[in-house]
Amino acid sequence: MTDREPRRVHPGTIGIDFLRRAPQTVIGLPAIAGWSSGRSIGWILLAAAVLGLVMLFFTWISWRRFTYTVAEHELIIERGVLNRSRRSIPLARIQDVSIERKPLARLFGLAEVKVETGGGEKDEAVLDSISVAEAERLRATLRGQVQVPASGEIEVESPETARFPVIFAMPVGRVILLGMFSFSLVWIAALFGVLQFFDQFVDFGLDRARDWAEVARDEVQARFSIVAALAVAGFALALGVVSGVIRTLLRDYGFTLRAGAGRFRRTRGLLTRSEVVVAMRRIQLAMVQRGPLRGAFGWSALSFQTLGGSNDPSGRQAMAPLAREHEVAWILETAGLPQFERLPLRPVDAGHVIRSLLRAFPVPVVIVAVALAVTPLAWLGMLLLLPIAAVALLQRRFHRYALRDTSLQVMRGVIAQRDWIVPYENVQVVTLRAGWLQRRLGIASVLVDTAGAGGGGGAPDVVDLGTADARALAMGLVARIG
Amino acid sequence: MLLPEIPLQPLERGQINVMRLTSAIGFGGATVIAAIPSWALSHSWEWLPVWAAPTAVALLGLWSTLLVRRRWARWGWAWTGRELHVASGWLVRSHTIVPATRVQHIDVTQGPVQRMFGVATLVLHTAGTAGSEVDLPGISRETAEEIRDAIREHLSSDPW
Repeated sequence: MTDREPRRVHPGTIGIDFLRRAPQTVIGLPAIAGWSSGRSIGWILLAAAVLGLVMLFFTWISWRRFTYTVAEHELIIERGVLNRSRRSIPLARIQDVSIERKPLARLFGLAEVKVETGGGEKDEAVLDSISVAEAERLRATLRGQVQVPASGEIEVESPETARFPVIFAMPVGRVILLGMFSFSLVWIAALFGVLQFFDQFVDFGLDRARDWAEVARDEVQARFSIVAALAVAGFALALGVVSGVIRTLLRDYGFTLRAGAGRFRRTRGLLTRSEVVVAMRRIQLAMVQRGPLRGAFGWSALSFQTLGGSNDPSGRQAMAPLAREHEVAWILETAGLPQFERLPLRPVDAGHVIRSLLRAFPVPVVIVAVALAVTPLAWLGMLLLLPIAAVALLQRRFHRYALRDTSLQVMRGVIAQRDWIVPYENVQVVTLRAGWLQRRLGIASVLVDTAGAGGGGGAPDVVDLGTADARALAMGLVARIG
Repeated sequence: MLLPEIPLQPLERGQINVMRLTSAIGFGGATVIAAIPSWALSHSWEWLPVWAAPTAVALLGLWSTLLVRRRWARWGWAWTGRELHVASGWLVRSHTIVPATRVQHIDVTQGPVQRMFGVATLVLHTAGTAGSEVDLPGISRETAEEIRDAIREHLSSDPW
């Protein structure tokens, strides 16, 4: 079904847009101008009112000029006041339609709709914002499905979604657990940064304040004993845990994964509820991650690399951020992917250990050498090299691969372990590569390129195989692509 | 030779001249550009000779231009009827295999320098990320078009 006449986004958008920008412009600018030129409060209010009206007018014009049309074979978006632009997206190219509700939009009963195609562009088509009912209708139309009868109160989880069985869900307790695993050390750095700043301030105090500063510094140094440092570290650690839990709760509260009609539907979020749809046939590969702490407790995370439709820079969509092995297996089975099997995997060549050591050592050694110039205690830093060396020596044990019936399976990583499942039909280009050192060691790497991968080293490459193994792997992969 | 079981064909000899000329032009331009900051800095630091930086760049260019033959010899390609192999690299050697069914579209391009020496570049686009574009430079235009037509028969509508 189509509606030929152009539609506009919801008028409430004008209000939201206005409110979003008001603090810095309508209130901020006249206040600064008035205060700096010494005008009265009445003048400031008048200036704010005039500026507000002008802004409202421009917001209204750009709202009027933004239209979208669902034609028979394409979605047309026209926008722009001075530079008119018209974008036409063939319906066949639309990969995903996601609905997101930010807190301010929720207040107005609105939702933002993002239409994603395979292209790499960020905002290919964003409708900000339309009523929830219209969003549901639009999504149904764009997906070529039966239209959901519009009713007044629709949650983001549409009735259409709720029909499908839940494949995986995280109760609040588990979301909090996930938050505790993902505490960030940023707080510690920030806190010590503030202390450092304070220290420097005291150090470079003005001449007049020097005497006072010296007294204060002695005071600070006297009190800033090891106990105090530990207290600060403990406080930062607590802050890190709390902020991690809050961030995770905001993002993953009510994490629910449903499956049906060839699609996964993931809903999550506390303030901003978001629903993401992942079409099963767009899944390029599966990746199972086990962080250092999580892995030890038997938890792992599953994500799918999909073609388009991911806001994540890695190009992957989280399917289960904290799951037990049988839950991961169940999602994989639902997606029609083979299970990861550890037993038949082959390790890479011993040369991998040499290359890992050569890669791991230079930076810490340079750091210790530089620190030695400052304090002889830096020799203790050499102790830190022991775990680094241990990890490098273990790299080979944890880097294995196998050509299974329908997929390439690769595992890599000692502390943060990753397993890849790459169905053969999703391998795009295979590259054999050997650098100078690799040729001396008689090894080579096999790089496996897939669609939709972002940056960040998430590729299922097999590094440092014996040359004969590398040839066999490359030829085997190409032969199975067919 | 990373994959000895695939016999590779060398590039056209004209490509040696293309590589020499592009390297000479590139480093010639870099020499001129390097002269500008060198000239500007020599005003504040008297001990710095004006010719030092441009000479260093020019020597680098000479070295790179003299190495062209070796780099050229490292290139090789093969069309097996199912996939295209492209090997290259002097220090880091690589051998890329593009299955014909994974190709999304194909270009045959010919720059002005390439036209002078009668060679062309075959460009394969895939849906991949790092290997989304695989170039095979330095083959004759006829060969490039032959391979293009052969691959075209394999193109599938849904390569994902």
